Amino acid sequence: MAQFRMNGARVLEAHLAGDAVRALTGSMVAYEGNVQFKNAGMGGGGGFKAALKRKMTGESLELMEMAGHGVVYLASEGMEVELVQLTGDTLSVESSALLAIGPNLRTDVAFAGLRGAASGQGLFTTTVSGHGELAVLSDGPMIALEVSPAYPLVVDPDAFIAHRGQLNQTFVTDVSWKSLIGEGGGEAYSLRFDGSGVVYIQPAER
Amino acid sequence: MAPTILNPSTLPSDDNVNPYAFCIELRQPWFLRKGAMIAYYGQASFEGLAQTSLSAMVAARFSSPLYAQQWVVAQGVGKVVIGDRGYDINSYDLDAGNLTIRAANLLGFETGLELKQSIVPGFLTLVGTGKFLASSNGPVIFAEPPMRVDPEALLGWADCPSPSHHYDTGWMQGFLGSMAHAVLGVQSGEERQFDFTGAGTILFQSTEVPRPDPAYLAQLESQVTGLGVPGLQRLQTVIGQRLAAEQQH
Repeated sequence: MAQFRMNGARVLEAHLAGDAVRALTGSMVAYEGNVQFKNAGMGGGGGFKAALKRKMTGESLELMEMAGHGVVYLASEGMEVELVQLTGDTLSVESSALLAIGPNLRTDVAFAGLRGAASGQGLFTTTVSGHGELAVLSDGPMIALEVSPAYPLVVDPDAFIAHRGQLNQTFVTDVSWKSLIGEGGGEAYSLRFDGSGVVYIQPAER
Repeated sequence: MAPTILNPSTLPSDDNVNPYAFCIELRQPWFLRKGAMIAYYGQASFEGLAQTSLSAMVAARFSSPLYAQQWVVAQGVGKVVIGDRGYDINSYDLDAGNLTIRAANLLGFETGLELKQSIVPGFLTLVGTGKFLASSNGPVIFAEPPMRVDPEALLGWADCPSPSHHYDTGWMQGFLGSMAHAVLGVQSGEERQFDFTGAGTILFQSTEVPRPDPAYLAQLESQVTGLGVPGLQRLQTVIGQRLAAEQQH
């Protein structure tokens, strides 16, 4: 069974034991052993239906498949890596923040909100589900914030990485938010989470 | 390895979450730079300086028309998480003091402080008592004058050191020499520093990645008015040369 191990805060070691792991294309910095690398195919190996959805929604995911015996060292742009354990639940994650996905996990595309129909890009999010481990990239140490019915959370979409649990995500486009957007652009909406779950953010804006 | 899961009661109160993120416990109004907020819990509202109900307080405390577009007032009750490009964030307490800081690195301040534009372009001065937040690329280094600092690395200064430009002696000799021979365009890179004398503290960082500052541009634009036709023509040639040089990179 393939395993992920951290080597410092910014390098991930994928220990392969005859099975296959998917990782961000171009993130391999070194490897030992006998490992084959191949393109995970259209849509990052999520199957034909997911590939079709990616094609239509523009939620891109560039993954490669690594198979064999050995250790692969993965890193991307000096960003910090965090391991996330999934136990049958689903993580919705920014596709650009995915570094590696364990063998027993599935990826798909989910529709993230109604506003997507008009403004397009990025409102579809990548979901990862199943039992296993995945590695997520964060520009600076990742911050995990709990959401419960008593305290909803509002997040800057440029700092958002992922969320899990029973969360209802809404797009807030109120005046209060608009006054927060600088001249340099930024997203025209904020993300509001209600329900109970965990939201992961990074201390830098993309 | 997984990060601890924080909620409104476990988030720090007016303290760092990690070196790159800070949590403000909002009880009284704060001035925040647009884009500095990355997440918040609670009943917080963010209003532009022109739209806020606290207009009298803003007019008294925020005495910089140049930067008014880039700031908001946050009020209400809640916890606000601040982040800036993954830079280190530090909070500072001023007690009836003054501190001047690079505008691009100032993220927020309490309304007990008064904001003024510094005479040095691109810098802002805070006067009074209260807390403020500033970011830096790497940890902040504190030092005492007399000293010279690279303009890119300068973060700010407190109390009363006197800032002036310093030009390398060798460079000045070369410049005067070239003046005598009427040759233009002497440039090497490290010939200019900021010189500090007097009593106080100087803050600097390892390096600054310059970030476009619309207010700095506006300030430069406003200084062009008195130049007249010959001055403007001269400026046009200089800008043309700079543009050509930039495009070669």
